[in-house]
Amino acid sequence: MPPAAATNLSYTPPDGGWGWAVVFSAFISIGFSYAFPKSLTIYFKEIQEYFSVSYSQIAWLSSVMLASMYAGGPVSSILVNRYGSRPVVMVGGVMVSAAMVLASFGSTIIHLYLCIGVIGGFGLAFNLQPALTIIGTYFQVKRPLANGLAMTGSPVVLFTLAPLNQFLFDSFGWRGSFLVLGSIVLNCCVAGALMRPVNKNAQPKRKIDPPKCNGAAAEEAGTADSSAQSGNLLTEENQNESRSHGFVHKFIDLSLFRHRGFLIYLIGNIVMFFGFFAPVVFLAPYAKHQGIDEYSAAFLLSIFALVDMFIRPATGLIGNTKWIRPRIQYFFSFAVSYNGVCHLLCPLANGYVGLVVYAIFFGLAFGMVSALLFEVLMDLVGAHRFSSAVGLVTIIECGPVLLGPPISGALVDIFGEYKYMYYACGVFMLVPGIFFFIMHYYNYKKLDEERRQIVAEMRTCEEAEQLKMTPNDSST
Amino acid sequence: MSATWKQLFFQIQLLLVFCRHINTKTPGPTPPPLVPINLLPTDERSVVLKGESHTEKVELLNPVNLALECTWTGNQNKLPNITAFWTKDGDEIEDSHLTVQLENEQYNLKTVFNIVSEENLGNYSCVFGSEAKIDFVLAAPQIGEMRDKPIVSYVADSVVIACKMEETKPKPSSWKWFKANGTDKIFAGAESTRYKITNVEWKTKLEVFNLTEADSGLYYCGAVYPLSTTMGHVELKVISFFEPLKPFIAIVVEVIILVAAILLYERSRSKKDNTAENAMNNQTNTASQEENNGSEGSSSMRQRKV
Repeated sequence: MPPAAATNLSYTPPDGGWGWAVVFSAFISIGFSYAFPKSLTIYFKEIQEYFSVSYSQIAWLSSVMLASMYAGGPVSSILVNRYGSRPVVMVGGVMVSAAMVLASFGSTIIHLYLCIGVIGGFGLAFNLQPALTIIGTYFQVKRPLANGLAMTGSPVVLFTLAPLNQFLFDSFGWRGSFLVLGSIVLNCCVAGALMRPVNKNAQPKRKIDPPKCNGAAAEEAGTADSSAQSGNLLTEENQNESRSHGFVHKFIDLSLFRHRGFLIYLIGNIVMFFGFFAPVVFLAPYAKHQGIDEYSAAFLLSIFALVDMFIRPATGLIGNTKWIRPRIQYFFSFAVSYNGVCHLLCPLANGYVGLVVYAIFFGLAFGMVSALLFEVLMDLVGAHRFSSAVGLVTIIECGPVLLGPPISGALVDIFGEYKYMYYACGVFMLVPGIFFFIMHYYNYKKLDEERRQIVAEMRTCEEAEQLKMTPNDSST
Repeated sequence: MSATWKQLFFQIQLLLVFCRHINTKTPGPTPPPLVPINLLPTDERSVVLKGESHTEKVELLNPVNLALECTWTGNQNKLPNITAFWTKDGDEIEDSHLTVQLENEQYNLKTVFNIVSEENLGNYSCVFGSEAKIDFVLAAPQIGEMRDKPIVSYVADSVVIACKMEETKPKPSSWKWFKANGTDKIFAGAESTRYKITNVEWKTKLEVFNLTEADSGLYYCGAVYPLSTTMGHVELKVISFFEPLKPFIAIVVEVIILVAAILLYERSRSKKDNTAENAMNNQTNTASQEENNGSEGSSSMRQRKV
């Protein structure tokens, strides 16, 4: 069994059974969260004509929705910490559904911004965070695989929604389509119903009588990096955790900002997201700029989505192997750097065949990073602090995600060609990749040192205990 | 006496022709040209045919004297003379039969046509004997992409139907809108408050307010050029709000059923588990109590809510 960073959980996650139903429900929730805003772009042209607005005004709708989805992260985390995943996902599903139904009666573009943008975005945030969190509670050994499978929801749902949206648009126009989409998105509530809170009493961890050690060692274990193998110091650990849990119950766990691994992840991600989504947005326009016709350019996106779809579970499987799992941070660093290299080499691609090759490699890169994105965060902070961590990460990432495509667009407008944009995106991904490699090497070394320290102290404690206990035994 | 009358008549004719204030619309199948033919601009199109047939599209905006030239390289048996003639829209043009000589291994035919009105547009073909044919399709600029699927809108809602001429083509002097079979013209503004037409250079927009199901059908937009008007059409479908409501309700019902089923299943399973767990808990509690008697400070199985 590949030794992973410890969980600090008082139970053994099932790693199967109902867990697979939870993976399926997370698949649906994550799929809707990421694919829904992208699939709405089909309606933009007609809405633009109906309300007589410019293209940039209608594009704001996507941006507002994405911004709300990321900004709703902390709110979602607080609610999940308090109430668990299930109620939050169901409320989120109802919110998005209500937003779409209200939007179908919209009379101004502001009405659409408020309904779809704000309410819909928050509803999707209430779907995304809990889905990611609950996987961490059900899986430990097979967690990378579970994460990879759940993240596959995004391309699969996008693939399904795109032609479905076109069909709805042809049959009902944009108002009727929004109404029907409101009911389709209600299926997130079904996903929420499947997210049964994990049964913590079913398989408790094997209890070993905790040695009554001096307070110093216990406190070190409690306050040390939560991913250290502090193992069986249940009493003291429980005390420390109940203190932090009281905090977590009330607010969000801001002590994460003192967590080394979390900070590395956060800094790297902030830079990375400037160049993450822009190449996807500009793939088709770049192809058209090179003289390729519209249908072939759209086909490039389909190739990209198809490769993405298959590489995500594959990455999960690879991440689960005993060679990769202990050092999964390096795997993530490799994926990010590979993305960067891919973009830097893109301007060398000539003609349609070159672009197809680029689309395939980019699909591989994008899928790998997406599948590992939340797995590595879980690995760093542990499953029970993950909810707060992901909330903080999403709201901080809001900025780069929103600014990335417009900055790239500005680069294209200034220079008149796409290659500088690809160089910029490549640099935005390669630098964090290298940063991750270096920082995680340092982090792993530190973690190993801490682990050795704690194990050494435990051993001295145990020996002291044994010396104390032998006179007792002999008396009975 | 008759000569002076003829002179007077001719002068009056000239006066009428050059006077712009007089309305020269005359009923009748072939209206006389407004501008004397020798004042029309000239244009030329020529095609060299190597195979058996070829089609050439000619875009015409304004009245013009158009010279069409056909050159044919001939076939195996190079006859010294060949008869050639012109057809318009499939019908032979009278007095257009000519005998063409073979010069420099080619047959050459050139004729000038006066294109002054819409009837002069069409498909002109020069035919060499019965073997080679070159088609010249004379037409005003065509509207490029039109939406082939119908626009769907709702009763009591409004809709915007748009038509666009490609900006690489010449700008139409105006736009016209027709409904259904191409003869009912839609009047905007004072005539009807239900319609609003907005023309901006290469684009035109028809807004229809307060829709009813009778408004469904084909709408034609016409780009008006001096010679003729090119048409494009869009279909409008007006449906009631109950149409999308049916799939909406069906899916909501499906969701409610699934959620109820999942929750009920879970409740029935947890009841079974609870009874089994209670039995197990009793056993382990008695066992651990004996264990804990010996050691100090036990941590019991604390329920922890996360």
